[in-house]
Amino acid sequence: MNINVTDRVGASHIEYLRQKLPHAVLEERWQTDKQVTVTVKLNQLPEAVSTLYYGREGWLSVVVGNDERSLNDSFGLYYVLSMEGEEKCHVVVHAAVPSDNEEFPSVTPKVPGCVWGEREIRDMYGLRPVGLPDERRLVLPDDWPEGLHPLRKDSMDYRLRPQPTSDNENYQFRNDAAGETTVVPLGPLHITSDEPGHFRLFVDGEDIIDADYRMFYVHRGMEKLAETRMGYNEVTFLADRVCGICGYAHSVAYASSVENALGIIVPQRAQAIRSLLLETERLHSHMLNLGLVCHFVGFDSGFMQFFRVREKAMTLAEMLTGARKTYAINLIGGVRRDILGEQRTKTLQLVAELREDVQRLLEMLLATPNFGPRVAAVGLLDRKIARDYSPVGPLVRGSGFKRDTRVDHAFAGYKNVNLGVHTGDGCDVLSRTMVRAAEIFDSLSLIEQLLDNTPEGPIINEDFVYKPYQFALGFTEAPRGEDIHWSMTGDNQKLYRWRCRASTYANWPVLRYMLRGNTVSDAPLIVGSIDPCYSCTDRVTVVDVKKETSKTIPYKEIERYCRERKDSPLK
Amino acid sequence: MKMDTPADIKRMKSSLLSNIRRSAYVYRVDCGGCNGCEIEIFAAITPIFDAERFGIKVVASPRHADILLFTGAVTRAMRMPALRAYEAAPDPKIVVSYGACGCSGGIFHDLYCVWGGTDQVVPVDVYIPGCPPTPPATIYGFAVALGLLDQKLKAKTHIEGEGEQAGIAHPAVPYNVRIHIEREARRMAGYRQGRDIADRFLGMLQIPGDLPLQQRVETFAAAETDPRLAEIYLQIGETLQHPELRP
Amino acid sequence: MFKLLKEVFRTGEATVKYPFAPLEISKDFRGKPEHTAEQCIACGACTIACPANALAMETDVAAGTRTWSISYARCIFCARCEEVCPTQAIKLTPDFELAVTNKADLTVKAVFKLADCVCCGEPFAPAKEIAYVTALIEATSVTSADGTTAAVSEDTERRRRMLATCPSCKRVNDLVQIARITDQQEKRR
Repeated sequence: MNINVTDRVGASHIEYLRQKLPHAVLEERWQTDKQVTVTVKLNQLPEAVSTLYYGREGWLSVVVGNDERSLNDSFGLYYVLSMEGEEKCHVVVHAAVPSDNEEFPSVTPKVPGCVWGEREIRDMYGLRPVGLPDERRLVLPDDWPEGLHPLRKDSMDYRLRPQPTSDNENYQFRNDAAGETTVVPLGPLHITSDEPGHFRLFVDGEDIIDADYRMFYVHRGMEKLAETRMGYNEVTFLADRVCGICGYAHSVAYASSVENALGIIVPQRAQAIRSLLLETERLHSHMLNLGLVCHFVGFDSGFMQFFRVREKAMTLAEMLTGARKTYAINLIGGVRRDILGEQRTKTLQLVAELREDVQRLLEMLLATPNFGPRVAAVGLLDRKIARDYSPVGPLVRGSGFKRDTRVDHAFAGYKNVNLGVHTGDGCDVLSRTMVRAAEIFDSLSLIEQLLDNTPEGPIINEDFVYKPYQFALGFTEAPRGEDIHWSMTGDNQKLYRWRCRASTYANWPVLRYMLRGNTVSDAPLIVGSIDPCYSCTDRVTVVDVKKETSKTIPYKEIERYCRERKDSPLK
Repeated sequence: MKMDTPADIKRMKSSLLSNIRRSAYVYRVDCGGCNGCEIEIFAAITPIFDAERFGIKVVASPRHADILLFTGAVTRAMRMPALRAYEAAPDPKIVVSYGACGCSGGIFHDLYCVWGGTDQVVPVDVYIPGCPPTPPATIYGFAVALGLLDQKLKAKTHIEGEGEQAGIAHPAVPYNVRIHIEREARRMAGYRQGRDIADRFLGMLQIPGDLPLQQRVETFAAAETDPRLAEIYLQIGETLQHPELRP
Repeated sequence: MFKLLKEVFRTGEATVKYPFAPLEISKDFRGKPEHTAEQCIACGACTIACPANALAMETDVAAGTRTWSISYARCIFCARCEEVCPTQAIKLTPDFELAVTNKADLTVKAVFKLADCVCCGEPFAPAKEIAYVTALIEATSVTSADGTTAAVSEDTERRRRMLATCPSCKRVNDLVQIARITDQQEKRR
């Protein structure tokens, strides 16, 4: 795409990189006026990423691998950085791995936040990150055949299902505690409403020394699906199903990645409708989390109250989109439903009711005696850890960082509204909960602002030309933080590559540090506070460091202990 | 790989259904869903829909369960945990397959890392479609599972009849004019509201009258109380001034 | 505790009456897709647009039929089918009561006849689709017919014949025509 040199935001970052690493930069390509991809020499990749990360206030958004052997005889690596100092923009550091080499220098030793991204590239492409401290599988199941890398274009049909080889899980859990430990496994099935995951807590008495977890029990292979069976428009509906709670944020992120890549101008009215629906989604999601916090501190009546009021947000979604969840409202170029006068009136009425209801429920929650003391100073996310791992959303805002994609990189309708960023400085469960509570009122006000000044005109622009091998980023602020998608078009009305990173993916790696030093009874509360599309597991393995005993405890037992705080299951 | 139900268990199951005089306990088995189903199940047991008023209670262990609720397309990694949960539940048990993914694999039905639905690994008694099923659909599904309500859907096969013909919408309006109106309405208001708007607009065009088109559109828009609708009508009217549409 | 009790009393009865009374649902709720087979021309647009492959079309050349089917089990209720349907034959209704005990009851089918090609006599496209397009062409030619009726009807006749020809015969016809044109050009030289 042709972008005026004068409109570009972020050129100084590239200048800085050229200065610090004089011979590293090979090429720069601008996808939009605030998105640039710089190609660097493979052996200087770690320096290039860390220079921008720590030198220019870059935060790691996602690491993308791409099999580009049919285009340029190499695998592409893309480290996406969200620049949040001066000149806010996205800089993507790209390096090519020659097809006959299959390894690259790991960036993780310099920027720890890259660890999951590089483990995933190892799984999906079979490229070896040299120097990566953690070489276990991340995404693929334990019994997946060795040497079969699903996202390699020539590896397999997307429908291939290798026969199961083992009925046991053989994942090696990791424990950094010095000395001997006892193990508490937790998962992968769970009782309340959690997605499958498997936890292991390493404990000394009641204190958590370390924790490790195995996620991706729900890996289905969506990214492969998007480049095989589906056309580019169908993927918006697939993106709705990345997450059942904040799926619309994914759908918008995906749609805007393709729109950015193809230079499609999305009508202003469609942009406003997208923002309005994103806020509707945030309403229900934040209320869900507040309900869960009530549940974890043993205040189940509060949980039921929040869920009762949350239904108003669901009614709002049903009225505006035709469904309570999975809105299915996006197409490339705009949206599929308008907001007419009748819906506008009903929306305003529901917003007014919600504002009052939530206000009352919050007062109720804060007046509950065991709430404040139970969540304050629990599950601390250290600011240094946060800076190293680039977590997102209310989690990082609760540790005092002003990170919010809606403000940093205003997208969709957020360019035309008034919005501040709420932060907390307690770094604990309380701060994160209060940030979410404040954001509910922001969302309500945003919906009103968007309805007050809805632009006129069409809601979709389908008058565009599909061009092959164009790529760009799309991003949104989901209830749990930044969602970021990287898409490259193919030559057949499909995608060549779709990389989708959910907000919780960026938040898991710091959880281990948040658990350390807390007691076992706080574990469900801490896990719940990152709002991981629901807490996680049903079995915790507790490992006692000193006693060298191992005991498997059902998750419900741990959760009961969290709520009642008596009769420790460890005794 | 798939499990089967022996005949005596089938008998036990029907007697469970006819004699159940207590709460039915439900255990959820998430086999790799997106959480959409999980959250709607939650909505179904919280105050507004309150499935617990029928004695339907979500329990913490498959060993307590009468009903197993399987969500998700059954991912590769969740096959064994799902089977273990199935085996842990005492017979007779009712297996409910929940949501599009559970019923058939849904949008993920043929992917490399899924098995494509609950009935690929365990025998299923009731299917609740939906993506995700809404709380009322969930309550209806439970009622069908417990034999309280009859299912409404029936398999149907239509065979084309003699002389069957698809009708043309608004035949009195020239084809290219109609298509133009429908396209513009969809561009302005989307497929659903746009279609209603186009129908109303086309209806207006077919009312006999001598006024010039533009004037008729303006009167029609002026009579509309919703400013957005009025804007759309005017916009459609404007595009009809396009030279190639003039008779 | 006081605030909680106040909230509880303030709320009163929150639960809906469903299933004992009908439920209030938004007008444009996306529930069960209802297929009006009489209005369907079996063009296949919906089967291509469906992200989940819930809609399918199978052609049986021997029997001369094409079978359209929808699986409510696989449907994700996105309404893409409704959006792309040229004849408004499929529409999402607010009906949500879809649970069944027999999976086969989640499938609805419609069997359409195939028309035979006027040249080779092989079945190639749904008869209803051809009839629909023919009717559209006729309607268009009637409205623009004043004055030049003869020329228009000749053109209509040519288009109608083209519609009733299968793609492979069209290709052959094209070749024959191209051969004739080249032949004439050769002769002219």
